[in-house]
Amino acid sequence: MTDTASIVAPRETGAPRPSRSGRKAGRRPGAPRRTGVAYIFLVPFLILFIVFVLAPAVFGLWISLTNWSPFRATQKFIGLQNYIDLFTPGSATSGDFWQSMAATGIFTLASVPFLLIIPLLIAVLLNQRIRAGSFFRGVFFAPYVLGVAVISVIWKYLLDTQSGIINHLLGMIGLPDNLPWTVDVPWVWVTLAGVTVWWTMGFNTVIILAGLKGISPDLYEAAALDGAGAWRQFISVTLPGLRQVMTFVITITILASANMFGQAFLITKGGPGNTTRTAIMYIADQGLSQNNLAAAAAMSYVLFAFLAIISIINFRLQRERAEKSAS
Amino acid sequence: MKKRFAARAIAVAVTAGLGLALTACGSSSSGGGGDVSSADYTGPKVTISFWNGWTGGAAPVLVPKLIDKFNSEHKNIVVKDVPMEWADIARKMPLAVKAGKGPDVAVGHGDDIATYAAQGLVLKADSIVKSLGYKADDFPEGLLDAGKYNGSQYAVPWSITPLGLYVNKDVLQAAGVDPNSIPQDKDSYLAALEKLKAAGVQGEWVDGYVFTGTFEFESLLWQYGGDLFNKDVSKATFNSDAGVKALTWMTDLIKKGYSPADVAQDGNINALIAGKTAFNWNGVWQTTNTAFDKLKWQAVAVPQIGDEKAVWSSSTHWMFMNNKGQDKNKTAAAATFVKWMNDNSADWPKTGELPAKNSVRDDPKLVQTYPNLKPFLDELPYAHYEPIAPGITTVEATITVAVNEAITGKKDPKQALDDAAAKADTLLKQNKEKYGD
Repeated sequence: MTDTASIVAPRETGAPRPSRSGRKAGRRPGAPRRTGVAYIFLVPFLILFIVFVLAPAVFGLWISLTNWSPFRATQKFIGLQNYIDLFTPGSATSGDFWQSMAATGIFTLASVPFLLIIPLLIAVLLNQRIRAGSFFRGVFFAPYVLGVAVISVIWKYLLDTQSGIINHLLGMIGLPDNLPWTVDVPWVWVTLAGVTVWWTMGFNTVIILAGLKGISPDLYEAAALDGAGAWRQFISVTLPGLRQVMTFVITITILASANMFGQAFLITKGGPGNTTRTAIMYIADQGLSQNNLAAAAAMSYVLFAFLAIISIINFRLQRERAEKSAS
Repeated sequence: MKKRFAARAIAVAVTAGLGLALTACGSSSSGGGGDVSSADYTGPKVTISFWNGWTGGAAPVLVPKLIDKFNSEHKNIVVKDVPMEWADIARKMPLAVKAGKGPDVAVGHGDDIATYAAQGLVLKADSIVKSLGYKADDFPEGLLDAGKYNGSQYAVPWSITPLGLYVNKDVLQAAGVDPNSIPQDKDSYLAALEKLKAAGVQGEWVDGYVFTGTFEFESLLWQYGGDLFNKDVSKATFNSDAGVKALTWMTDLIKKGYSPADVAQDGNINALIAGKTAFNWNGVWQTTNTAFDKLKWQAVAVPQIGDEKAVWSSSTHWMFMNNKGQDKNKTAAAATFVKWMNDNSADWPKTGELPAKNSVRDDPKLVQTYPNLKPFLDELPYAHYEPIAPGITTVEATITVAVNEAITGKKDPKQALDDAAAKADTLLKQNKEKYGD
């Protein structure tokens, strides 16, 4: 539970990932505790955490319970009205909000499986002793260092309906050459998921690769002696060995996908209509552009609740499996 | 993405936190008036800060030059130029002004003025306009009023950016359309599109985005005699018969094969430059597009498709900010600066915008230097500017959704406009509650 909180909360609110220390502590339960010194080292981060994460989060919760407006000198406490509005069909925000939540859900479902499977396969390949391994590692990681604005503008040009090179290439091999990649459903989803996978898979690959390096070669040797083939080794040694890493990767990937903003904002403009306007896009628009801070804060907390529940389920599932395999 | 969201979340939180602190101790001074007695500031030496969104194109070179010239001509005024992205200005302005750290003068878009005014961020400018000697007929028709909200003047016009019709003459020539008589009415425009179609060219590519599908729709709506909102901007009227006719005209271009379906944003202007289409409705700012240099192109007034001449135009205006504890001398100096800038705006077309002041635009030297601007100048008598109401940009966004849904075939024009109008009405009501009357 503490693990969940330490990873989930910062993703939502923006602190650096403290997960590494959390995992290490968990791995060595017998180590002597030197809490006094540890706390002293934790204080600087704790201060930053309180000032920039905890305090604004609590303040945001309070905003969501008022009719907060930057144009008024005093704000009125209105209880759960902002939340009730979100769950009342026909209010100014509910329709748009749930549409944006659905868009976020579609994007998450469309992107997360690929963001897990493809990096896993690439990492396994890169973990073989192949020539120019570090070169390929660099190649797969390269897109990740680009900013969202850069990759969005590049792909917007490549995927233009009429003059984009992708449609041109498709036409040359006899496929339809007028697919509305950035304009119409369902192609916009393919585009958004595809661009995101291309862009961020290098990050997951590197994390998984590090996990692979941590699996003892002795295990593979023992498996091979027992007559296990490559596939069997993958199932019985690689996957169990990656469990902790995968829990982490799955969690941050789901959270990152659920927080998608820039790609849809730049490539599809939320279109067609508002189909690809994600929750974060809508919350940012309400809060920052339209000064509906109270409603936006309430929406953030609803989104947060969803993500927290998903993360808890994820951790529970992983833990149950770990316990099962341990017994 | 992950990091970016984090930064954003922190920004929201910090902004919100600051906002509370500021509003808690700040006085809610609203509707102060700027008192300026003359067009020439004679008081003690002051430094005034000037916020603008001129970060691209020719402006970053031109503006510092103008300001240097102004500063050297005025011994008792120093203007500090603070350019930043328009979106940043909108975000920072409310808190900065309430904290007394905002600019003394700023340039803003026409549809932002009322939003600022309703928040008490802008000084009433009736007395400034009077002392500068500005009258309605110093500017194109309706432009001075575009800075008026709730019966008071809040802004002084600076620039205008109407829509026009951009033409690739080589494409016309190749399709057998006389490039020297560019269609200016519905029948000849359709005839040209038909000829282009016969030659295998889709003549006008319509898109469903703000740039420039929404601008084209609004121009057509006004041409058919409609309007975006009712008089006091409390109800959306863009779903009127005129609106349906306007949007149907656009979707018909696709239906009749004059435009491809699913044009991406900027797909049409890029196609015009690539020689794949002949016509593009676009803003005067494209006259500075260097990609045009290699084509034979011309800009003309938008054709009259509906019953009367009309064209969409955006505008920018000067605003005198109502900072907490605003120094009257600074506001007076800012007024002098504004008048000087308007008088010296002859080079402003370099940025792709037309100077608002008639005397500058009417100078024959302007058209001599910038011949491409002629058709845009001719359009001004029938140009329509953005609606004036607090929070209106939010409501305007529903129009783009309707245009997009109709162009991508998600809904028929009437359905799309009706749905958007219903949404717009909800937002207008919400704005009334948020900003008051």
